[in-house]
Order: sequence, then C-alpha cells, then structure tokens
Amino acid sequence: MNDINSQKTVLHAQNVRKTYGSKGSAQQVLKGIDLRVLEGEFVGIMGPSGSGKTTLLNVLATIDRATEGTIRIDDADVSKMKDAELSAFRRQKLGFIFQDYNLLDTLTVKENILLPISLSKMDKRMAEEEFNIIADILGIKELAHKYPHEISGGQKQRTSAGRALIHRPSMVFADEPTGALDSKSASSLLGTMEDLNRKRDVTIVMVTHDPVASSYCSRVVFLKDGQIYSELYRGDKTRPSFFKEIMDVQAVLGGDNVDVI
Amino acid sequence: MTLFELVIRSIRKNIKHYYLYFFALIFSMSLYFVFATLQHDSSIVERMGADVNFATSFRVAGILLLVIVAIFTIYANSIFLKRRSKEIGLYQLIGLSKLGVARFLIIENMLLGLGALLLGIGCGALVSRLFLLILMKLLGFDVIVGIAFSAAAAVQTVIVFAALIIFTSIQMTLTVYRNTLLELFNAERQGDHPKKPKTVVAAFLALLGIALIIYGYDLSGHMVNDMLFFNMLLVLLSTILGTYLLFRVTIGWLFYQFRKRKNGHLGLLNSLSLAPLMHRMKANANSLTLITVLSAMTLTMVALAYSLYFSAESDTRISLPYDFVFENKEKDAKSFGAELEKAGIRFDHQPVDAVRLKGTIRDLQGKPEESTQGMLFLPAEQLQKAGMKVKVPPKGEAVLYDARVNLEGRTDKEGMGFPKEIVLGKRGETKMRLTNLVVQYVMNFNVYGAQLVTSENTVLELANNMPGSPGYEKVRLDTYQVPGKAERAKASALYAKYVSKDDFEPDFHTQYEGALHSLGLLMFISAFLGLVFLISTGSILYFKQMTEAEQEKRSFKTLRQLGFDVKDIMRGIVRKQLFVFAIPLLIGILHSIFAVKAASILVLSDITVPSVIAMAMYALIYFVFAVLTIGYYRKIVKNAMS
Ligand SMILES: Nc1ncnc2c1ncn2[C@@H]1O[C@H](COP(=O)(O)OP(=O)(O)OP(=O)(O)O)[C@@H](O)[C@H]1O
Ligand SMILES: [Mg+2]
Repeated sequence: MNDINSQKTVLHAQNVRKTYGSKGSAQQVLKGIDLRVLEGEFVGIMGPSGSGKTTLLNVLATIDRATEGTIRIDDADVSKMKDAELSAFRRQKLGFIFQDYNLLDTLTVKENILLPISLSKMDKRMAEEEFNIIADILGIKELAHKYPHEISGGQKQRTSAGRALIHRPSMVFADEPTGALDSKSASSLLGTMEDLNRKRDVTIVMVTHDPVASSYCSRVVFLKDGQIYSELYRGDKTRPSFFKEIMDVQAVLGGDNVDVI
Repeated sequence: MTLFELVIRSIRKNIKHYYLYFFALIFSMSLYFVFATLQHDSSIVERMGADVNFATSFRVAGILLLVIVAIFTIYANSIFLKRRSKEIGLYQLIGLSKLGVARFLIIENMLLGLGALLLGIGCGALVSRLFLLILMKLLGFDVIVGIAFSAAAAVQTVIVFAALIIFTSIQMTLTVYRNTLLELFNAERQGDHPKKPKTVVAAFLALLGIALIIYGYDLSGHMVNDMLFFNMLLVLLSTILGTYLLFRVTIGWLFYQFRKRKNGHLGLLNSLSLAPLMHRMKANANSLTLITVLSAMTLTMVALAYSLYFSAESDTRISLPYDFVFENKEKDAKSFGAELEKAGIRFDHQPVDAVRLKGTIRDLQGKPEESTQGMLFLPAEQLQKAGMKVKVPPKGEAVLYDARVNLEGRTDKEGMGFPKEIVLGKRGETKMRLTNLVVQYVMNFNVYGAQLVTSENTVLELANNMPGSPGYEKVRLDTYQVPGKAERAKASALYAKYVSKDDFEPDFHTQYEGALHSLGLLMFISAFLGLVFLISTGSILYFKQMTEAEQEKRSFKTLRQLGFDVKDIMRGIVRKQLFVFAIPLLIGILHSIFAVKAASILVLSDITVPSVIAMAMYALIYFVFAVLTIGYYRKIVKNAMS
C-alpha cells in the first residue's frame, strides 16, 4: 500500500538522545534514535515499560525537548525552534490524543473539539463544516453539546481524537489512546483511526502497550532500552497475521508490562 | 511515631498549603490587637475619656471588627480544609480513627494558632503606633505619643483568639466526622456543571433581579418620610435580593444565551473565562453577592464618613454663618468687643435688628401648609453689611432661608410651590407674600425662628405695627466675625464665659472642633473597618482564585501541549479575573452611589469630591488583589508544562 520511495517524509528524527537528571545521576533514556515517518503512515511504537516510548513521543511531538539530535517535521527543524515558535507550530501542525483524554471539563464536546482552531482565522461556516465531517466519522455528533462528565470513556477519547484532527494537522501523536478503554471501545476507536489514516491521509504516530492496538498500524517500531530494536511493516498482511508477527517480536523482547533491564 | 511528631512533620511538609491559613490568622490577630490597643491607650482615654460617644463608637466598632475577623478566619479555614481534604482522607485510609484525625487536626490548629497569635501581636504592636498617630491627627491633637505595649489589649486579643481557635477546631472536627472518604477525595473536584436554565422561569427571574435593583435605587431617592425605617429596610432587601438574582440567574442566563448563540465556536478567550465562570456559577453567586453587598456597605460607610469629615468645616459654616452671635445681650456683646480689641484681635461687628413673631405659611388658595411656628424677620440690608449674600426683597415680600429643607424631608425644594403666603397677627389679619426659598442660613441656626428675610423697612413696619401679636419680640442680634483662624480660637476662649450652661449658644470655633473630634473618630473607625474589610474580601477572593487556579492547572497543561502559549492563555485568564473582581466592585460602587446619595441629606455641603476620592481609593486597593491573582495564575500557567 505505502510506496516508501515515492512518498514525502513528514517526520525525520536523527540521533535523538534524551538524558534526565543532572551530571551526577544522569540517566540516558533515549540513546540515539533515528526514525523517518512518511506521509500517510500509521506508526505504532511498542516496547517494555520504561523503555522510553512516552519520552520519545513527547520529544517527537515537541512537548519535550531532546538533549541531542535533530527533529524535522514538514521540513522545519523543530529542535532549533524557540518556545513561542514551537507553540504556534504545535497548534497549527500537530494533533494530540492523550491517554487520559485531557478534555477541558468546562467545555462541551463540540467546544473541546473546536479549541485548536479557536485562534485561527478560519471562518465559522468552514469550522462548522469541518466539525460535522469529523464528528460524523467519530460518531459523536449527538454528543456535541454534552459535557465531558456526561459521556463515557470511549466517547471522551473520540472527542479527544476529534480535537486532534479538527485543524487538519500534518501529524497526530497518540500516547496509549486505548489505555483507559475496554476492548470493545478500544477496537472501535482504533478502527476509526485506521479509517481516518486511510481516507484522510492523516499521519499518525501512536504509542501503545497493546499488540492488538498496534496491529491496526501500517508499521510498528519496537523500542528497547532507549534504542530501536526492530521494525515490522504490515504491508498487505491481514490484521490477524500482523498481530501474530507482533506477538512474536514481543516474545523476544520480553513481553508486555515486564521491565527488562 | 507519636501523634505530636506526626503533627510537626505534617506542618513542615505542607507548609505551602498552610501559609494561606496562617496568613489569615496572623492578619486577623494583628488587626484585632491594634484595635484593642487603641481602645485601651491611655493618651486617647485621657483626651476622650469623658466622651460617651467615643466609648460607644469604639465598642460597636469592636463588635463589627470581631464579626469580620471571625467570618474571615472561618472562611479561610474552610478553604484550607478543602485543600487538605485528600490528606485528611489519607490519614483515615492508613488506619487512623476519626477521633485520631480530629485530635491531630486540633493539635495542629492550636500550634498554628499559637504561632499566629505571637506573630500577630508582634506585628500589631509594631503598627499600632502608626494607627495611633493617624487617629490623633484626625482628631486634631498634634501630640507625639509614645505607645507602651498594652497588656490589656494582649489579654483581650488572646481571649478572642481562643474563641476563634475553638470555632475552627469545631469546624475541622465536623469536616472529619461528616464526610465520607469518597467525599474527602473528591472535594477538590467538585463544581457544578452549567445546566440548561428553564427558559421562562430563568428569564423572569433574570429580569426580576434587575427590576428589584432598580426599584431599590428608585426608592432610595425618596425614602425620607414617616416610614423612613421601613423604606430603608425595603431598599436594603430589594437591592440585596436583586444582587443575588443578578449573580445567580441574570448573569448565568445571559452567559447561557451568549454561549448558545456561539454554538460551540467559543474561542479561546471565552473558553478560559466564560466557561469556567459558568462552571462555578452557583458557588460564585453566593460569594460574589456577599462581596458585592459588603463592598457596597463598606464603600458607603467610608465615603460617607470621609465626606462628613471632609465637610466638617463647610457644614459648620453653613449652620453658623457668624463666628459669634449675641441675642438680646447688648451689654455682653459690648464687653466681648472690648475684650477682643484689648487682645488685639481683628474683628467685624454688625448688629442686626430683627423681629420675631408667630405665624403660619400657607399656599395662595389658603390651605395652611404647616402649623404655627416662630418666625424671625431679618432686615436684608443689615445682613448684607454683616457679610451675607442676600438680595433685598421688594417691600412687603419675604424670602425664606433654610439650609436644612432636605433633611426635614419637605418636598418643596427651591422655587417649588411659590409664591406662598405668611399669615401673622392674632386673627391672621396681616399677610405677607413669601416669594421664594433659598437653601442657606443667614443667621446662626440656634437663633430661634424660621429665617425670613425682608427689606429693612418691612422689618421696621412689623416692629411698629405688630406689638401685642402672638410671639411678638424685638430681637437684637450682635454678630461678630473674626477672619483669622488662630485669632478665632482665642476669641472663642473669651466668648465661653458669656454663655450660660443652660443656653445653647455655640460659636463657630467650638462647634467646629467638636464636629472634628466626633467625625474624626467616625472617619478613623470606618476607615479602619473599611481597610480590614477590604483586605478580608480581597484575600477571600484571592484565596478562592488561587484554589481555582490549582484546579485548572491540568487544563492549562493541556492547552500548552495543544500549542497555546502563555500569552494566549493569560489573555483569557485576565478576562476572567476582570469579571470576578470588577463586576462585584462596579455593582458595589453603583449601590453605594445611590446609598451615599440617599444619605447625603445628612451633609449640607456637596460631597461628590470626597465620595469619589474614597471610592477611587477603595477600587485601587481592590485591584491590587486582582493583579496579585493574575500574577499567581501566570506562575501556574508558566510552569504547567513541566
Ligand atoms: N521527567 C523525568 N525525569 C526523570 N526520569 C524520567 C522522567 N520521565 C521519564 N523518566 C524515566 O525515563 C525512562 C523512560 O520513561 P518513559 O515514560 O518514556 O517510559 P515508557 O516507555 O513510556 O513506559 P510506560 O510503558 O510504563 O509508559 C524511565 O526509566 C523513567 O523513569
Ligand atoms: Mg508511557
């Protein structure tokens, strides 16, 4: 499906390192990561707990800064940007889906979703159209005027996904988006994400523990001890067979939820 | 670990949480101590000892202060408890019994209180000297007084403090016993969610709120009649209720309509201001109403007291246009003049020959407007010589001079219902046209009789024709003006011996000094209470906003991650803070403008300037708190990402 050579690179990370703590007790969490994400890819990042998945995602998503290395998104070197520039960049080009949704309690579903374009000059009619399209895809149109405390976890996560997509970002980052969902709402959300990825050509990078979740991806990157351990491409494989492959790599890696040091 | 160690450790660990409550305690204690010190101060007691008003004023103010301090402390404690509810829940979760937790909290409260007491008395002792100097200055005594540490004041403070600690301890115990663990863990997340208002009812109540306020304002303009007290109560009730409805329904309703019209396209600014405000509308309604009403009261009190003080001289001058007046005491007047000359005091002496009669005023249709009253007919030409600005009315006509018509609640303002008729004589046979009313006195107010100015000839005619009429009396008034201020004080001392105890014959200087003393005290007390009140409400708002800021920390983090920078977020927050602070202040000021206007009949001078000054000062200090909360928010938003 994805012809690697003819497609544009959206994200290119080179030799990314991240060290926590000061000199005495420094701990290198990311140890030189090289990663290239092409337009329209749906990349899953897997790995044992503590391997640095969240750290990598945050660094790639410009929420956190790398200690070393360069990261280019849409040909812009984000590792050299100032904070203010970075904010604007994030707001315009990136979308986020958080594990615990991070919806604003005081806003309705629709208001939450429209938040990212609240500072852009997009006119109201276009914004409304955009909202309708996304809310239709995510199946949350009926919930538009409900508050987060009135809807279920799966619906919250859909709202969060809507918020990540409304401004047509170049990339969407998701950190364990299905972590707080039961398997039914999880697969429904993942199906929608897969759909979005195909139909709207949204590039997605998703961190997950769950092999089922990563079987929806077009590529899975395995992380171990802050380094890329291996990669799997789905290609034309069916989801179940891709799932098996993922399980195999995971078995070698040390399995899910087990700290491998 | 013993309970005691646990207490010490908990205080040390949570010291950041404690500082708010601790500050509130210290603040309350030191202000109360300052007040108690002034109450017991010997240099004040010596000077004002005999004055019953003084002692009463202080006592009443003391009670008011106590109420404010108590409300403030209890409120601060409730915020403190809410912030720590998780911790309290945790203690129970690890196996401490409710009794144990309560005991722990009480011991901790006592330790905190003891620290606050010592610090409070220390701070109080430092600043009480400053307050004493201000008070002395206001009362017109220019003495430098050394202030000794007042043991009596300290004892009084300790008693009050002990009561407060008992109160707050009960409050803490109730929190522990009344709440389930779940409630404790969720206390910080409580907020009400904006519900769709029932449109018809809400619209009705929303309009009712405004209507009640307008009704209150309107009534306050003309409430001086037989039902004054009832009217005042009505004004108070309708404005307070109106204010509550305004905050609880009207504003919420307007917000709701506005938000509905936006149909989800709220924008960042409104998402950060309107939405969180609506989220807490119910809780906010109570505190905003309280703050508005109390602000209005304080503003009225301070503005009025300041105006009274500010107008003391001009008010006294209006009541007593002459420095000294001798009525039918020509001999005394002469000897007073001689004494002034001997003392080298410059003065102007002008005798005024007037006639006093009993008579009635009625309109031209012959309806009597008032019962028979004493009337003093004054010759305009002589008044002019004595320095009064009066016109000489045509022959046979009179003009009424009265500076207090407003206070007397009479509706006939200047020029209304005139001309009228004055009826004199045994059977009402003599009549005179009364052409106008001027709001001013042309004779000291203590000289008996309504002041009617006519031409000199008319007075002479009355003097010649009316003997034998009811109340007829020729009145010789010797007026003295002493232009120099210091000389006037000396003259006042000389004048004193001509006044017998039973007569009320005040001179300008003495009257003015007296007014200055009582109004200075009034001014000091209201300013002191106003300050305490202002700082208390300001702090309550500040604490509340601090708590809200912490609760919204997560939202700020999310927004920052979504790519909104500190500047964008702060714009929304500033808007919210403006609303939270400015709306109660503005409505409070509006209320107080009407209240001051209603009460301004007590003051003869124009009080626009002093009222505006007092209100501006209040607003200024109030806004310092707004700036403080915005600073606090900025810190939280800035650090939200890390
Ligand atoms: N702010 C921080 N300061 C210091 N060390 C950190 C910080 N954040 C993460 N770490 C450390 O970095 C390592 C990687 O953490 P990270 O959160 O990226 O792991 P993860 O792969 O997302 O794990 P999980 O699957 O449990 O979420 C861990 O050892 C963690 O202790
Ligand atoms: Mg993680």
